[in-house]
Amino acid sequence: MLVMKNINKIFQTADIQTHALRDFNLTVNEGDFISVTGPSGSGKTTFLNIAGLLETFTDGEFTLDGKDVGSLNDNGRSKMRNEKIGFVFQSFNLIPDLNLFDNVDVPLRYRGFNAKERKARIEANLERVGLSSRMKHLPSQLSGGQQQRVAIARALATDPRFLLADEPTGNLDSEMAQGVMSLLEEINKQGTTIIMVTHDAELAQRASRTIQVKDGRVSELEIVSKQAIA
Amino acid sequence: MLETGLIFRALMRNKIGALLIALQIALTLAIMVNAIFMIQDRNQQMSRASGLDEANTFYLTNTIFGDNYNKQVNLQTDLHAIRNTPGIVDAIQINAIPLSGGGWSMSLQHEPGDDKDTIGSALYMVDEHGINSLGVELIAGQNFTAQDIQWRESGSTKWPPKTIITQAFAEQLYPDNWRSAIGKTFYISQTQPMQIIGVMKALQAPWNGWSGVERSMLVPFHMDSKNSRYFIRTEPGRRDEMMPIIEKLLAESNKERIIRRVSTVEETRQRSYQRHNATNKILMTVIITLTLITGFGIVGLAIFSINRRTKQIGTRRALGATQWQIMRYFMMENLLISTVGVVIGSIGAVALNYWLVKTFNLSPISVELVLFGVIALFVVGQLAVLYPARRAAMIPPATATRTI
Ligand SMILES: Nc1ncnc2c1ncn2[C@@H]1O[C@H](COP(=O)(O)OP(=O)(O)O)[C@@H](O)[C@H]1O
Ligand SMILES: [Mg+2]
Repeated sequence: MLVMKNINKIFQTADIQTHALRDFNLTVNEGDFISVTGPSGSGKTTFLNIAGLLETFTDGEFTLDGKDVGSLNDNGRSKMRNEKIGFVFQSFNLIPDLNLFDNVDVPLRYRGFNAKERKARIEANLERVGLSSRMKHLPSQLSGGQQQRVAIARALATDPRFLLADEPTGNLDSEMAQGVMSLLEEINKQGTTIIMVTHDAELAQRASRTIQVKDGRVSELEIVSKQAIA
Repeated sequence: MLETGLIFRALMRNKIGALLIALQIALTLAIMVNAIFMIQDRNQQMSRASGLDEANTFYLTNTIFGDNYNKQVNLQTDLHAIRNTPGIVDAIQINAIPLSGGGWSMSLQHEPGDDKDTIGSALYMVDEHGINSLGVELIAGQNFTAQDIQWRESGSTKWPPKTIITQAFAEQLYPDNWRSAIGKTFYISQTQPMQIIGVMKALQAPWNGWSGVERSMLVPFHMDSKNSRYFIRTEPGRRDEMMPIIEKLLAESNKERIIRRVSTVEETRQRSYQRHNATNKILMTVIITLTLITGFGIVGLAIFSINRRTKQIGTRRALGATQWQIMRYFMMENLLISTVGVVIGSIGAVALNYWLVKTFNLSPISVELVLFGVIALFVVGQLAVLYPARRAAMIPPATATRTI
């Protein structure tokens, strides 16, 4: 479970202050698939970064799986990221110098798994995204959709509770976007909680919950649970 | 978990920069190790004892210009006066000064004749006060007596029948047992016999670069010359005080001569090794400069590659890397580059040394020295990469989502 209470985030640069999140409140339950929409600059990425422990917040309360995130130091946040969170980025962020196998290996090394365990997890997750036959390929030898699948395999390899995705289909054509979306839905069905920022209204509708961020606030919360309807 | 394999594979995709730095490390190692070796070689040469009581000895040149001047009588008078001055231990007339760069050498041989093997030695003409004035140590046999001292006319080719030689010379003449040299005869000027009556511990030749620098002999001669050198030993710590006193004593006792070039043996040593010291300084500067350039090269390459990989580093942080794991990545990367560098460098160092040995007749380099260079460059590499690695560790995780 992820609970944010009155989270504020103020970016302070030399001469300007940006209030990116204002009294942001949100509770994400196990198994949710949440899509986050909102205008550019409204604070979606800021929210996702804070939720994924990439950024700290100015004030408020944030607990992740019962743990008070505000009290963690950089090391603690890094470890928690590695254990509980998987990230998928708009531009895939694969390491260009490493082949697919080694790319998926990266977070597993940080966790400290032994070689056998890592190999098993890498193979299983590349299999899961349908790319087990290309383990020795470099990212540059793949299409965008395939690269994003590898990124998803990498995010899942550590068995995270939460998968956070910032416009994961933003750099893909619609066909590839559909494929990635289907994969995310499948992963969600298998139990991983997903929070996905997207510009695509149609994809957003496919989530179990949709929230909208405006001016740093959760402006509208459609508690339209598909599971509830279905 | 160490990620050596991943670092290595990533490195192999960006070979050029890494390889250039590795080669720079290799070059630095090869030059550093050989330069240190050359410095050590010189330091070792400079640390050899001359055999003299260097701190308490000085010498001067006595030049006579008067015509009615009994050189033989005057030499005795001079030496007598100097020896009897309070503060003076002893004094002699001598033909050459050790380490000064100028002097005599003669070829000696076991058998008389003009087709025999010879061995060279520096030659010092002194009287029975020679041992005491120079401050050398007689370790076997005996000193000359007053009766042994002969007058040598300038240009004469006659030699006295006795000599005292250094241990190093005795060892060369009688490798089995240098002590057996006492009482033995060798030949000078091919046919004139000379008997070894004493062995001194050490007395260096005037030429510090000569391979036979430790071979010297004393010959019991006074020189009948208008131009001669006096070598004077003072009581410990009184040299500087006695130098002007002796100069004044000689100058005032006889107006038909001049006293010139009063200098200490320490000055002579310094002048003798001026080139050595200068060369060592240059080599040291080369070592430091090269090391700094390599260090900065490592810093530069690391900063460049970190700037290029900002987003990747942010992504690694987002995937759970701690700051220390990021730092360690770049330190490990440097270690890999350095390893390639020192392997090539060690081969280069030995090859360069091999060439130096062949060209300049140096001795071969020691394994310890190469090992020292290897460790030094590993340390330099790790220190150089510390700051860039620290900067990489400071790259915020949000870079992963904030940059395109
Ligand atoms: N590192 C930063 N420093 C200063 N301002 C920032 C920083 N990151 C984001 N902002 C500002 O915070 C606001 C929210 O940004 P962001 O969360 O990226 O919006 P979105 O993802 O919805 O487009 C914007 O006004 C943006 O300019
Ligand atoms: Mg955004």
